[in-house]
Amino acid sequence: MAKEKVVVDGMAMQRALTRITYEIIEKNKGINDLVLVGIKTRGVYLAKRIAKRLEKLENAEVPVVELDVTKYRDDLKNKKSNSEPVNDSKVDVNNKNVILVDDVLYTGRTVRAALGAINEMGRPKRIGLAVLVDRGHRELPIRADFVGKNIPSSKDEKVNVLVSEIDDRDSVEIVSNK
Amino acid sequence: MTKRYLILNDGTSFVGKSIGAESTVTGEIVMNTNLNGYQESITDPIYHNQIVAFSQPSVGNIGINRKNYESILTSAKGIVIHHSEDISTSYLKKISLDSFLTQRNIPGITDIDTRYLLKYIMKHDIAKASLVDVNDEHAFDQLNAAVLSNQQIQQVATPKPYLVPGNGKTVAVLDFGLKEGIVRQLAQRDCNVIVLPFDTSYQEIIDLDPEGIILSTGPGSPHEIDDSVLTTINQLEHALPVFGMGLGHELLAMANGASVYRMKLGHHGSNHPIKKIITNQIIYANQAQDYAVDPDSIDTSKLIVTYIDLINGTVQGIRHRDYPTFSVQFSPDGSSGPTDSIDLFDEFLESITAHGR
Repeated sequence: MAKEKVVVDGMAMQRALTRITYEIIEKNKGINDLVLVGIKTRGVYLAKRIAKRLEKLENAEVPVVELDVTKYRDDLKNKKSNSEPVNDSKVDVNNKNVILVDDVLYTGRTVRAALGAINEMGRPKRIGLAVLVDRGHRELPIRADFVGKNIPSSKDEKVNVLVSEIDDRDSVEIVSNK
Repeated sequence: MTKRYLILNDGTSFVGKSIGAESTVTGEIVMNTNLNGYQESITDPIYHNQIVAFSQPSVGNIGINRKNYESILTSAKGIVIHHSEDISTSYLKKISLDSFLTQRNIPGITDIDTRYLLKYIMKHDIAKASLVDVNDEHAFDQLNAAVLSNQQIQQVATPKPYLVPGNGKTVAVLDFGLKEGIVRQLAQRDCNVIVLPFDTSYQEIIDLDPEGIILSTGPGSPHEIDDSVLTTINQLEHALPVFGMGLGHELLAMANGASVYRMKLGHHGSNHPIKKIITNQIIYANQAQDYAVDPDSIDTSKLIVTYIDLINGTVQGIRHRDYPTFSVQFSPDGSSGPTDSIDLFDEFLESITAHGR
């Protein structure tokens, strides 16, 4: 029977995004040349939330790119879902500080795919990675620059991130099938 | 109850009745507009050497209990209230406000229209007050001749380091006259707390290997603190996450080049909406401030303003652009007052985790 355990509640999720926002300002020395790239689906909502926070603090807009990485993945046999263009926002990433945003960092294969997708869009000055949850079990040499919460997990478990924009609440839950 | 007088430095006197000790005191008078939490306020070192007048008309009704001390050595010099009724049957109540004040030798005056007093103080330039038995010329002479101490911080801050052990993160608290709410919040999060005298040197702090630094609340003026402490704060923010509150916030601002001014009328209450700029949320918190950071003096290439008081426009929070260093003017610990911002302690501990990553 599947059991759910809430590991990050709504308040803690807000706090993590707030902290990541400040850490981005610290590392990036402000928001000049910053572009946030949200990985579909939930990474986009998280990227938008971070952009909104940056905007409140700095009174300037930060572009958010919505990225569908399906066709760049190496672990899916059936890649037909990607009929739409990768980057429809026409944001120029050349010489920009790009920060990839995703909900969960697991094997690293999604991030690798996203790097491939960004590569097709241009040549950023630097690419960083912000994730709400790092659950371990990397299969590629990838690490995040900004982490909301480290959640050591077992491969048998699922880590679900829920965002209130499309789910009924903000939370991070571990579902175990045992 | 015997007759007593509250006299102000402009020659005004209010007649009331004695509560607590019957000694004569002189001090700076501050108005506290909180609806509850008189025990926390009376024992909060931030009110050290001050006469606290409560605008809430009924104070002391639930007595004094074991849970709500903000310091063991009480700090308010005297209290002014409108009315106290000793009727509570609360299981926590140990003694009445009156007997507590008597035991601790704190004089008080009751039957004063404190809401009128608040309005009066807001309009006039009142700095000092006395609680006296006779409101004659001699009493006013004494009041006007009184020189208020500027050594409040030294009088209440710990002279020696001590530990509040826990199994979690090790946090060093620089004690400028801390309220126990800070340590209580850290203890609830299982922190290993090291409370240090505020003039502990950078090297001595770093040798203890803490994971984060708290700059505590405290009484009096940040200008009475030696510049060497500002230098220490500067060195600390380069090395570790730093979280300042109240006086600690004012000092953090000064250490980063901002200036702090004395407000014409301080604010002691929890009725002001405070905007959290990053999320546009409105929060309420216990505020006890006589000083504020001058927003025009803030170097915005160094600091970000994070919280603003929407009533008087004062800066309520700042954050360093380059380090995980932040501070708030208000007391986030919720003792007493709203707990809206209590998770700033979690934010601090989470930035320690992120810093160590």
